[in-house]
Amino acid sequence: MTQISTEADVGSRVSTEEHARARGRFIVMAALHALASLRLTVALLAMSMVLILAGTLAQMHDGVWTVVHEYFRSTHTWIRLRLFVPDSWGVSDRVAILFPGGLTIGVLLFVNLVAAHAVRFKLSAKRVGIIVTHLGVILLLAGEFVTGAFADEGNMSIDEGKSSNFVEDIRTAELAVIDKTDPTSDIVIAIPMAQLHEGATIRHPMLGFEIHVDSWMANSTLAAVTGGMDGDPRLSMGPTADMGIGRNVRARGVARATGVDGSTVDVPSAYVTLMDGDRRLGTMMVSVHLEPEQSFGVGGKSYAMALRFKRTYKPYTLELIDFKHDLYVGTNRPKNFSSLVRLIDPEHHVNREVMIRMNEPLRYRGDTLYQASFKSDNSGTVLQVVRNPGWLLPYVSCGLVVSGMLFHFGYRSWSKRRGGAVRRGDGMEGTR
Amino acid sequence: MNMGRLMRWIPLMLVVVMAVSVASRMRGPAVDADGVDWNAVGSLAVSAEGRTKPLDTFARSALLRMSGRQSLPARGEQPSMTAVQWVMELMAAGDAETQKRAISREVFRIDHPDLRALFGLPESDVHGRRTRYALSELMARLPEMANQVDMAKAVPAKQQDMFQRQVLGLNDRVMLYLAIAQWEAPLAVAPLASGQEWRPLVMTAGPMVGGDASTKAWHSMLESLSAGDGATLTRVAREYGETLRGALPGAARASSNEVVFNRAAPFVNAAAVYVFAAVLALLGLLVTTVSGKSDSAWGGVLRRSGLWMVGLAFLVQTIGLVARVVLQGRPPVTNLYSSAVFIGWACVPLAFMVERMVRVGIGTIVASVIGFSTLIVAHNLGASGDTMEAMQAVLDSNFWLATHVVVVTIGYSATFLAGFLAMAYILLGVFTPALRGDLKKTLPKGIYGVVCFATVMSFFGTVLGGIWADQSWGRFWGWDPKENGAALIVLINLIILHARWGGMIKERGIAVLAVFGNIVTAWSWFGTNMLGVGLHSYGFISSAVFWIVAFDLSMVAVMLVAAVPVRHWRSFREGVLESRVGGAVATA
Repeated sequence: MTQISTEADVGSRVSTEEHARARGRFIVMAALHALASLRLTVALLAMSMVLILAGTLAQMHDGVWTVVHEYFRSTHTWIRLRLFVPDSWGVSDRVAILFPGGLTIGVLLFVNLVAAHAVRFKLSAKRVGIIVTHLGVILLLAGEFVTGAFADEGNMSIDEGKSSNFVEDIRTAELAVIDKTDPTSDIVIAIPMAQLHEGATIRHPMLGFEIHVDSWMANSTLAAVTGGMDGDPRLSMGPTADMGIGRNVRARGVARATGVDGSTVDVPSAYVTLMDGDRRLGTMMVSVHLEPEQSFGVGGKSYAMALRFKRTYKPYTLELIDFKHDLYVGTNRPKNFSSLVRLIDPEHHVNREVMIRMNEPLRYRGDTLYQASFKSDNSGTVLQVVRNPGWLLPYVSCGLVVSGMLFHFGYRSWSKRRGGAVRRGDGMEGTR
Repeated sequence: MNMGRLMRWIPLMLVVVMAVSVASRMRGPAVDADGVDWNAVGSLAVSAEGRTKPLDTFARSALLRMSGRQSLPARGEQPSMTAVQWVMELMAAGDAETQKRAISREVFRIDHPDLRALFGLPESDVHGRRTRYALSELMARLPEMANQVDMAKAVPAKQQDMFQRQVLGLNDRVMLYLAIAQWEAPLAVAPLASGQEWRPLVMTAGPMVGGDASTKAWHSMLESLSAGDGATLTRVAREYGETLRGALPGAARASSNEVVFNRAAPFVNAAAVYVFAAVLALLGLLVTTVSGKSDSAWGGVLRRSGLWMVGLAFLVQTIGLVARVVLQGRPPVTNLYSSAVFIGWACVPLAFMVERMVRVGIGTIVASVIGFSTLIVAHNLGASGDTMEAMQAVLDSNFWLATHVVVVTIGYSATFLAGFLAMAYILLGVFTPALRGDLKKTLPKGIYGVVCFATVMSFFGTVLGGIWADQSWGRFWGWDPKENGAALIVLINLIILHARWGGMIKERGIAVLAVFGNIVTAWSWFGTNMLGVGLHSYGFISSAVFWIVAFDLSMVAVMLVAAVPVRHWRSFREGVLESRVGGAVATA
C-alpha cells in the first residue's frame, strides 16, 4: 500500500483519470486485504463447525441425501433449534436461524485462501510448507465440487448366470415405452421422471398414442386385489386400472423414505391412461415394483411399457459367474461378500474374469464398480457403479497437505533447534 | 549412607517394587482345592461370535454381559467362582440337585426399578443391597417377560422407551444363559476331522451321533464335574487339550496364549500403575511449588518417580496392546474398546516429549490421568462382551485399519492431550502459584506443539478415511456422522492455529480453545455413535450419555475459569509486579 499512497501524493500532477484508476486500485487492494484476513478464515472455519454439527444432527430426522442437499451443497440453510435439544422438549420447526450453506462457506474459504496468498505471497523456505498445504486444501475443495457437479452413480444388479450392461439410478425413475413391432430390434422411448407429474400429457412423434398421467406416487406399495374389495379399505378407494397387471394389483402411495428407518429407496408407481386421439384405450398401473414389462397393442403395433429406475447403458457387459456371501461360523455376521464376474468389452478386446469384493473394487473405463449389496436369497449381486472424474483429487490433495504440514512444522522446530529462531511478523507468523 | 545418593535410587526402587507386584498379580493358582486344573479347562478352544477362542474368554465375556463382572464374588455362604467354573457348572447341571445349585447363581444384573417390579425382585436382602439376581428368581415371570418382549419388538428401535430397551436387553442375556445351559453355545465340538465345522454340543449329543473324540471329552468332563471327580476332569481336559493341539495346532496355541492374556489383565494393572504415577508426580509438583525452589530435592525425586512409574504403566500397556495385535492378527484399533486403550497409550510418548520441555511433572500427570481414564472407559466399553470380536466384512482390511484407523486415533490422542495440558495451564494458573518462571512459556509452547501434531494427524487420518471410503464404496466423502466428527476435530485444530497466527488469541485463548477441543473429540469419538442407537448397546449408551454430558460440562467449567482476567490469576499476580520492577519475568 506504500506504493499506492506514493501515487496519491503526486496526484496533483496527474490527470483525474489516472487518479481514479489509482483510487480503484486502492479499493481493490483494500478489498483483497479484507478478503485475505485471517479473522475471516477463523470465522469461516467456526461457521463450518456449526454447519457440520447441524448437518450431523439433522440426519436423525432426514435421509443423508436430503441433508447433503440442504446443508452441505446449498447456498443457505435454516438451522432449526430442535436439532440441538431433546425431542421431548417439543421445540417447533419454525424456531430456526438463517445460516450460510456449505457451498457459500466453501466458496468463501476458497476466495479467502486465494486472496491471502495473493496478498502475502512470498516464496521462502519458511513459506513453502504453507503454500503446498494450502494448494492441497484448494484441491480438496475442488475435488468436493467436481464430485458434487460431475459424479454419477448407479446400481448394476445381476442374477447368477445372467449379464447386464446398464446401471440404474435408484433416485430417479423413467417410464419406458418399447415399440416391439420389429422382431429384430426394439425402439425404446424413455420418458424422464420430471415429466411424469399428475395431469401431464405425454406426446411423442414415435408413439401412435398419447399418455395421460392420472396419478403419480413418489413412493408406493403394491397390494393384490383378491376377490371383492373387502380386504384393505384403502384399496377400494383411489385410482383403478382396466388394462394389464393393474386389474389384479393396486398401487397406493406411502410416505417418502427418510433414510433413518432403514429403507432408503423410494419406489414410485403411477396410473396412466392411453389415448388414441379422443378414443380412450385404457388405464394401466405401472410401478418400479413390477419386474416384467406389460405388453399391449395399438393400431397394429405391439408395445410394452414399464416404469423403471433410470437406466444408463455402459459400453461393457458384466456376467455374474458366482456370488458369495460368507458368514462367520455359527453367526449371522457377514465375513465377506464377493462377486466373480466376466468382464466383456468387444470394442477393447476384453473378455476376462474379475473378482469384485469388499474393499477391492474393479476400475474400468472411468467407472469404479463396488460390491454394494445382494439379492435377498443370494441369487444375485448388486454392484455400485460410480463415475467420478475427480476421484484422484483427494489422493493428490492428501499428499500435498500432509507433506506441506510436515515440512512447515518440521522446518520450524528444526530451525529453532539450530538456534536461528524463526523471525516473527512475516505474514502468517503473527504472534507468539 | 549419603542421603543424596540414596535419593537418586528411590525412583528405580519404587518402579522395581511395583513391577514385581504387578508380575505377581499376573500369576494365578494352578490347581484348586478339589484338584481341578481350571487353567487346562479354560484353555480349551471353542468357537463363539464367529471366532475360535478359549473357553475362558467365552465364559468371561458371557458373564460380563450378564452381570457386568468377569467372576462371581462370594455372597453369603456361596463361595466366589471364576467365569470358567460358572460356565462349566451351568453346562454340567444334570440332575435336579445340581440344576438347582446352578440356577441359583446371581448372574443377572438388573438395575431398572420397573424391570425389578416386573419380576417382583427384592432390592435388598440380609447381605445388603442387591443388583444381581438368579435365574431361579426370574423363572416364574419369564412368560410375562416374553409378552413384554413381543410388545417391545413391535416398536421401531428408535422409539423404544427405556423400559422396552431394558426388557430386550435382559431377554438377550437370558437367551444367552439358556443357550449355554442347553449346550447351544458355545460351539464346543471341534472340527477334528477335515470338512467339519465347529458345532454345538447339543447337535452331537444324541446317542445317534455322539461318537467323535471332542464330544466324548466334553461329556466326560461335564459328568466328572457333576460327580465331583476333580481328578478325572483335570485328566480329560489335559488329554483333550493335547488332542486339540494335534488337530488344530494354530487355534489351540492361540487359545492358551489368550488365557494367559486374560489372567494377566495387563490393562487393569496398567491402570493401577497410572494412579500411582499421577499421585507421585502431583506430590512432586506440590513439593516444588510449596518450597518455591525449582530444584527442590524431594520434588525432583517424586517427579522422577512419577515419570518412571508412567514408563512402567506404558510398558505394561504396550505388552497388552502387542499381545492383542498378535492374538487377533489385526492392527491395534478394531473397535471402540481398543480405540480407548490406544488413545491413552498414544498420549504417553507425546506427553513425555512435553515433559522434557516443561520439566515440572505436568506431562507426567497429564499422561497418567489420560492413561488411567481411557483405560476406565475401555473397561466399561468391554462390558458388552468379547473385545476381540470378529470384524464386519467392510472393516475386514488390515491395511486400512493399520493406516486410517491408527492415524485418526493418534489424532484423537493428540487433541485430548492438548486439551488436558490446557486444563493444567488454566487450573494451575488461576488457582496456584505454580505457573511461573520458565513454565509460563514452556507449557503454552508444549500445547501449541501438540496442537500442530494433532492437526497433521487428524487431517491425515480423516482424509485416509475418505480414501478408504472411496476404495470400498466409491464415495470419498459421504457426510456421515463419523466422518463429520473427524472433520470437526480437524477444524477446531485449524481454528486454533489460524487464530494464533492472526494474533487473535495468545496463551490463554489457545488454552480455552484446546479445552473446547476435548468436547469436540469426545463428540466425534462417542457422540456420533449415540445418534444411530445400536441394538446391543443400550445399557452402555444410556449411561455413557450421562458421562459425556458430565465431561462436557466440566470442560465448560474449566473454560469459564479461564475467563478470570489474567491479572487475577494466582500465578500471575506477583508476576505482574516482577515484570513491572525487572522488566522481564524473573525466575524465582
